Amino acid sequence: MLSFSTFALFFLSLSSLLHAKSSDGDSVLVVVEEVHQKDFTIFFDGLKEQGYELTFRAPKDETPVIVEHDVPAFSHVIIFASESKNFARDITPQSLVELMSGGTNLLIALSQKQTPLSSLASEFSLILPPPGTPLVSFFPERKDPPSVIPIDAPASSLILSPKLAPIWFSGVPHALGSNPFLIPILNAPAESFAADSDGAADALVDATEKGGEGLWAGSQLSVATGFQAIGGARATWVGGVDLFSDKFAKKEVSKGVKSGNTQFARDVAAWTFQESRVLRIDSTTHHLVNTTTPLEQYTTNDNIVYTAEISVYNPQTSTWEPYSGITDLQLEFTMLDPHIRTALPAVPGQPGKYSVTFRAPDRHGVFKFVINYKRKGWTHLHSSTTVALVPPRHDGYPRFLSAAWPYYAGAISTSVGFFLFSAAWLAGESRESKKAKKAQ
Amino acid sequence: MPKAFPLPSDLSPATVANTASLLRIVALSLISGAAIASRLFAVINFESIIHEFDPWFNYRATRVLASKGFYEFWNWFDPTAWYPLGRVVGGTVYPGLMATSGVIYNLLHALNLPVDIRNICVLLAPGFSALTAWATYMFTKEMKDESAGLLAAAFIGIVPGYISRSVAGSYDNEAIAIFLLMFTFYCWIKALKLGSALFGTLAAIFYFYMVAAWGGYVFITNMIPLHGLVLILMGRFTSRLYVAYSSWYVIGTLSSMQVPFVGFQPVSTSEHMAALGVFGLLQIVAFTQLVRSHVSSKQFQDLLFVALVTAGLLGAVAFVGLTYKGAIAPWTGRFYSLWDTGYAKKYIPIIASVSEHQPTAWPSFFMDLQFLIFLFPTGVIMCFHQLRDEHVFVIIYAVMASYFAGVMVRLMLTLTPVVCVAAAVAFSSLLDTYVDAAEPEEEKSSETSGAATPSDASSASTSKKSKKEKAAAAASTPGNALTDLVAATAPTKKGDAPKAKGIYGIDTRLAVIGNAFAMLAFFVLHCTWATSNAYSSPSVVLASHNPDGSQHIIDDFREAYYWLRQNTPETAVVMSWWDYGYQIAGMADRPTLVDNNTWNNTHIATVGKAMSSSEEVAYPILRKHDVDYVLVIFGGLLGYSGDDINKFLWMVRIAQGVWPEEIQEPNYFTPQGEYRIDDMASPTMKNSLMYKMSYYRFSELFGGGQSMDRVRNQQVPKVGPTLDVLDEAYTTENWIVRIYEVRKEDLLGRDLKSANAFAKGKKRKRSKPVSKRRPIL
Repeated sequence: MLSFSTFALFFLSLSSLLHAKSSDGDSVLVVVEEVHQKDFTIFFDGLKEQGYELTFRAPKDETPVIVEHDVPAFSHVIIFASESKNFARDITPQSLVELMSGGTNLLIALSQKQTPLSSLASEFSLILPPPGTPLVSFFPERKDPPSVIPIDAPASSLILSPKLAPIWFSGVPHALGSNPFLIPILNAPAESFAADSDGAADALVDATEKGGEGLWAGSQLSVATGFQAIGGARATWVGGVDLFSDKFAKKEVSKGVKSGNTQFARDVAAWTFQESRVLRIDSTTHHLVNTTTPLEQYTTNDNIVYTAEISVYNPQTSTWEPYSGITDLQLEFTMLDPHIRTALPAVPGQPGKYSVTFRAPDRHGVFKFVINYKRKGWTHLHSSTTVALVPPRHDGYPRFLSAAWPYYAGAISTSVGFFLFSAAWLAGESRESKKAKKAQ
Repeated sequence: MPKAFPLPSDLSPATVANTASLLRIVALSLISGAAIASRLFAVINFESIIHEFDPWFNYRATRVLASKGFYEFWNWFDPTAWYPLGRVVGGTVYPGLMATSGVIYNLLHALNLPVDIRNICVLLAPGFSALTAWATYMFTKEMKDESAGLLAAAFIGIVPGYISRSVAGSYDNEAIAIFLLMFTFYCWIKALKLGSALFGTLAAIFYFYMVAAWGGYVFITNMIPLHGLVLILMGRFTSRLYVAYSSWYVIGTLSSMQVPFVGFQPVSTSEHMAALGVFGLLQIVAFTQLVRSHVSSKQFQDLLFVALVTAGLLGAVAFVGLTYKGAIAPWTGRFYSLWDTGYAKKYIPIIASVSEHQPTAWPSFFMDLQFLIFLFPTGVIMCFHQLRDEHVFVIIYAVMASYFAGVMVRLMLTLTPVVCVAAAVAFSSLLDTYVDAAEPEEEKSSETSGAATPSDASSASTSKKSKKEKAAAAASTPGNALTDLVAATAPTKKGDAPKAKGIYGIDTRLAVIGNAFAMLAFFVLHCTWATSNAYSSPSVVLASHNPDGSQHIIDDFREAYYWLRQNTPETAVVMSWWDYGYQIAGMADRPTLVDNNTWNNTHIATVGKAMSSSEEVAYPILRKHDVDYVLVIFGGLLGYSGDDINKFLWMVRIAQGVWPEEIQEPNYFTPQGEYRIDDMASPTMKNSLMYKMSYYRFSELFGGGQSMDRVRNQQVPKVGPTLDVLDEAYTTENWIVRIYEVRKEDLLGRDLKSANAFAKGKKRKRSKPVSKRRPIL
């Protein structure tokens, strides 16, 4: 019995390992020319092994459609058909953006040519060099042509695995615009530049004469860039489709050292397809100190407890786990402007729970509890809860104020005085009438 | 004694008195019926619906009061108004109206009459107009007699100047306030006449009710002290005045401070200082009288006089000093605009932008009061004849109210009661003179007949009246053409000429009385016409006529509000110009940015700025205020002139008051200084959000033909404006209301203009990377 259950457990964990790891669904549409389909078998088989269901479609095929009844039909879309100038009618830059607003993740490879995808890239604040100018580098010295470049993985990266071997790259670089949603994954080497591979030397000479003006060069350029869109969807732009190819995956960087392309492709796909660095807010509550039920409105100067529960996606087990690792989470209590902005620290001993107690401002109005956590590489966390902050009720003020004693004294003395006066008046009246009687 | 026509002589005085009393009751109930009935045009022509703008808030507040009880209402914080500032309704509202409806509602339900709260609200104003007629009767009775009272009641019952604010459905504070005003004045006059603390207290209680019901209570707060002051200056200080004023002021002020919205204003603002000052003055004068009655020394009295003057001066200096230091709040802008009609336009455009705060046009006096406006001066002059204390009151009231009615259209309402009273006094004097059967005798002055005239139910105690007439005759000073004219209405002048003045025969009588009754008949016709045609429109529902003459209802407002109610989430914030705030809250039940309770000028200016600036400037404002929908009123298709483009300059002006660098009014005019919306419109105008929202896709409606704005009578440009930050969500049948949805931020972080251009398939210009290093030279 015991052995059976351990076996079952083992089997379960195995199946979970094999099953889809994305938090977002496991259907993938791959748009690739049929002839090139087998160039990426390592990458595609890796995805399949993880449990993704890959559907292939040539760029000019009409089916399967990517959007059916206004609902995206796939959770992820890979576009490796970078060379093709024409796509089927339903794949346009506009429809791809539409897909992203529906939550679909994109993995797109660019080419040197001017394609619909290069105009889409500019919508993502990626700035491409003129057509036909791939990234070239003459360092380090090697037998390969200058446009096939080994690029060292960054020392620390949010997306890539640590200690990655250099990655073979061939394609166009891109400069990054000022869009804060861009996440550079792999930068071009410092000594590389974009130029026509035949006239690379001439381009350098020209640029030198102009003092470096107009040369697409240096480590500011990126060859692989992630994009975290507002709705939660992710997109990754890679400068050349060869990076994912079997050829580069097998190619050795130096004697006996295999290139990091396989792992790089794996990491990029993991990030793009919402496996890694995926956070979510499970719930938020607010209540008065020493109570538990949330109120629709609070009184000014109340002490309010705000609690958020945050989970991170664990691709190993395909489950959401409470996550207490965020150290710079903030809570804003906002009416037009944040009236209170305070750290929202994790509660020790309660995983995934973040809580703060604060005193509401002395200002009535409609306030919002706002969590707005946007960090590069991570899913954006946004939560907004509206509550009203009202002035105290008519009987909610202190009843007797020591400062009001002059008024109390005034009221009491007037009352007493009136009483005495009335008494004296009545008494005087009776005496007078007695006197009057006596006089009579 | 000669008589112009025979009178029954075998009636006992008791019978006459009883009959007169019965006729009075019948007449008063008929007047009440007429007053109520003529106000029901709105319900019959349209439906039982709350009118206009402010009543919608009152109605909403009343519903809260009826469903949740008074204390919840008192503590009601409305998070949906003035989003996100919210409104402390309990502390910023005059609760009298809602409390009245709530009491009636609970009373009816206690009697197992399950009347809908809406019907109570709709019919409250007509009901109270009947009470106003009664209060005016009581008030005028104190001025002259019962016959004048009945005339005054009939006048106020149907006069358009009052009906304009009290038709069924016009559920506003004025609906009950005019009754309270008249009844407070009646109690005050009664208290003054009798020196009665009871009536003084009653006046105070109704004053409290008035304070709780209408901001116009300040009129009473200043009228009664002014009356007191004038009486003191006329040397008419009496202990009756002292008792009446003191009891009114002390109880009235203390109770008025219980209204949360008023709070400590009665002791801290300039508007209320006159009442306090006169109260102090009365104490001093009373003290002087006391001392004078006990001390005989002339020197001491002089000393006392000097001391009093010094004390008065010191008080005035202290008042000015305190105002200067800020302990007493200075006059509010609304009051400055009462003295200087140009003030508001210069400094507080938000007050000037309200049409009912504009100076009154001359024709509206005739429209609202008809022949009463001609009788009004006569009645006031007649008050000078006897000039009893209460007549002084009417004279002051007439002068003040005439001035205010000239300054502000809405204050016509306060003028109307005194016009009715004065006109009734004049008219009943005329009738008294000409209906009276007595003819002047030779030699001695006429004694009026002992019997009342049957045709006129009013002249009850004729002996009393004749005394009055004598007094009037005695009071009139000869040598003035006007007084001569007036004196002619009095039967005789005592011992003046050998041949007595007077009216002989029945023909002269019939001529004058026939004329007078014709005037009354025309008055009734005019009132009915004005009520049914001018003052009974709910303005929520518009009426037009089909070519065949049948009525066509234009119901765009409710269509739009119900669309909002049915199709948007409950928390969707709607931005519109403040005029429509109460209606959106009442009918669509959605949070609004600004509404007709214009307490926060900056917030209104923010909306004005959003409406009058370009999309790029407006969008951050919209997002910051969580605006989900923007609502504009557009009358260009139908020719509805009260639309937002016509109000647009006020939005610009109000925004300019807060952001003079960013919004400038001249930019919205053509170089020739014209306000245009066609091809020649200024670029600022064309780029403003309001213009774009109004004319978005308007020219498409004409299918390439000439698109005409029927309000401005200008041609709209063929190529209409484009909108990037807004999506058209709903446009009503006649395009009067247009609703736009505010777009969310672009998911790729682009600005919406380029995102929109991309979605339409426009190519973006190639951009170059930002050079981060300086070229080496």
